[in-house]
Amino acid sequence: MIDTTVEYGIDGNTEKRSNSDFDRRTFLKAGAGGVGLTAFAGCLGGGDDGEGITLGAMYIFSGFASLYGDEAERGYELALEEINDNGGIDGQEVEVIARDTESDADTAIRQMTSLIEEDGVDGLFGLDSSGVAQAMAPQAEQNQMPLMVTHAATPFLTSPEGEHENSVGNDYVFRNCNSIVHDMYGAAQVAAELDAIEWATVGPDYAFGYETWDYFQAFSEGLGVDIEFTAEQYPALETSDYSPYISAILDAEPDGVITPLWGADLTTFLGQADSAGWFDEIEYTLFSVGMGTDLPADGDPLPEGQYASTRYDPFVPDSEENNTFRDTYVEEYDTLPTYNAEGAYRALYLYKEAIEEAGSTDADTLIETFSGMEHSGPVGEYTFNEETNQATVPGIWGVVTYDEEYESNVLDSVEVSGDSPEELNDALAGSDLPSGA
Amino acid sequence: MTAVLAFVSVSDLVIGLSLGSRLFLIAVGLSLIFGVLGVLNFAHGAFYMIGAYVALVVTNQVVDNFWLAVIVGGLAVGVIGVLIEVGTIRPLYERLDGELDQLIVTFGFVLVIHEAVRFIWGSQPYSMDAPASLAFSVGIAGSTFSAYRLFVIVAAFVVMISLWIFITRTYFGSLVRGTSSDREMASMLGVDVPRLYTAVFFLGSFLTGLGGALAAPLQSVSPALGDQVIIDAFIIVVIGGLGSLSGAFVGAMFVGILQSIGPQFIAAGHIAIPFLAMVLVLLFRPEGLFGGIGE
Repeated sequence: MIDTTVEYGIDGNTEKRSNSDFDRRTFLKAGAGGVGLTAFAGCLGGGDDGEGITLGAMYIFSGFASLYGDEAERGYELALEEINDNGGIDGQEVEVIARDTESDADTAIRQMTSLIEEDGVDGLFGLDSSGVAQAMAPQAEQNQMPLMVTHAATPFLTSPEGEHENSVGNDYVFRNCNSIVHDMYGAAQVAAELDAIEWATVGPDYAFGYETWDYFQAFSEGLGVDIEFTAEQYPALETSDYSPYISAILDAEPDGVITPLWGADLTTFLGQADSAGWFDEIEYTLFSVGMGTDLPADGDPLPEGQYASTRYDPFVPDSEENNTFRDTYVEEYDTLPTYNAEGAYRALYLYKEAIEEAGSTDADTLIETFSGMEHSGPVGEYTFNEETNQATVPGIWGVVTYDEEYESNVLDSVEVSGDSPEELNDALAGSDLPSGA
Repeated sequence: MTAVLAFVSVSDLVIGLSLGSRLFLIAVGLSLIFGVLGVLNFAHGAFYMIGAYVALVVTNQVVDNFWLAVIVGGLAVGVIGVLIEVGTIRPLYERLDGELDQLIVTFGFVLVIHEAVRFIWGSQPYSMDAPASLAFSVGIAGSTFSAYRLFVIVAAFVVMISLWIFITRTYFGSLVRGTSSDREMASMLGVDVPRLYTAVFFLGSFLTGLGGALAAPLQSVSPALGDQVIIDAFIIVVIGGLGSLSGAFVGAMFVGILQSIGPQFIAAGHIAIPFLAMVLVLLFRPEGLFGGIGE
């Protein structure tokens, strides 16, 4: 099909070239350009479902948050090696094809389409950005493709469509890590114990920044924590100089600040906040999921003694499964696993368990198997809530402490909370926000 | 007005001036090049970004001397500017619709430079340390600033004054002013216009490269840097008057301070307010607040 179109299109001469493979390739290389080549490659690589299991990984591999993709890659590579060394999934070799979402919804959707149509993947996992995840959820349903989200944290992703105007949850989308809901439930409890009345936030200027602050306030009110909310700042993603925002927060003189800044934005912010005297003037700073940025960054940027959360802690729970995973990971990569590595690692095991249980890679059978499934991994034991497809993974908060043995920051005095959906729903009852838990 | 002023603290002012200072170094080159050559250099923000990356490479990989890195950053961008001007913009001066062609060429370089930077350094941001001699904090009116931030403000004032003297008091300055007001007359009086154009393009590029290098310790350096600053620089030269040096200075400080106090009033106000100011200037004083070169 390709050769006729191309040849007619260019010189109309079919006789000369039509029967020679060699000529066709030379011709394509020489001038038909990217379109022809891509279509050609697509035909060769596409749609092979006969042997092996193919999963598509979608993370941020470039830009200010490329560290997330790098971490996830380590996680799924480790799982891939373990699984394939032990007979694969149902005896079949597993392959992971990774794509860069570039933290952009349009790019992510294009990559997903390509993974489904050209690579014929059996399932998808990944996603770092809440904004991207919200755009992807309806697409996963439309394409009838299971999507195991391992990082993106907006509650609306697992809040069933229709529950709230922003809800996009559907039967094909699952999340194996905690969300903003679990994280802020924990944050409100941390705030309750601190000697801080006035609270402020500085977060990225999109859904994640706003939702973090909304849920922090909602849980504080729901749990009866006696605090006030005084200032909020939302610098754009990839802001290069945070000074005006830092100054605005310092002017408001809050006792505590919660910040969901992430990736390189967080490290940039920390350097500038420090030189503006932030940590001398503000008693408590809560770094929502700060550990995901701190571990891979150079020089442990989170200041000791401040509070940070994570979606998975390498030391909690103190289970054999977690300890084995941590030790293997440290041996392989010479650093502690971040939550993004653990989430990606576990996604592969979830697919393994579901495919083996269902005895098939059929999408509809898979999503039925995931729904309500009980599973255990490094993060602990959890269940996918049938109502939402959200895993019952708790929020995890602790105090940032430098650990000599691992030569990096870790969380001390770790508190986990909010693994029960009922508990979270109750705490949100007075607000109009869905839990998606 | 007093009610607004009451909210503007010393720290907002200092941060605003520091933001304004680096915007000035970009805007002044943009304005100078437009004023003399009539070329609106879209790639000017990308030049600024190159200045920052070059300074980063010099300090991290060549010799750990910040001041040398800043000078090399400026010079490297100056040379790149000259190559681009001589190689691709000069052939377009005589074209009938040359201005649009120039704009498209310089826009092309924005894309080329952006991708080249991504290719060479990747898309993750880098940070650069301030020089050790300025790595301390200064307290002003209860707020803390890094000494380097204050230094950048001083540097911008020094550049402004030097440039002023250079343009108004030197022979080369008189050639620049003369050529900017009447190119053909200058040419008939014996001014080597093409060479003057190249010299001015070098100067404008050098200044923005210097700005990028000087600002590197105050911000993260990533491929997004060029796009962020070029819009601000355009707003500044429109407010100040295309081709005006003092306009670029006042415009830059004005936009810097707006960006600094904006976040306290409305979300994203720091982005909207400068645009609003530009709209008002375009409506009521389309030539800008200040006149031409040397004003």
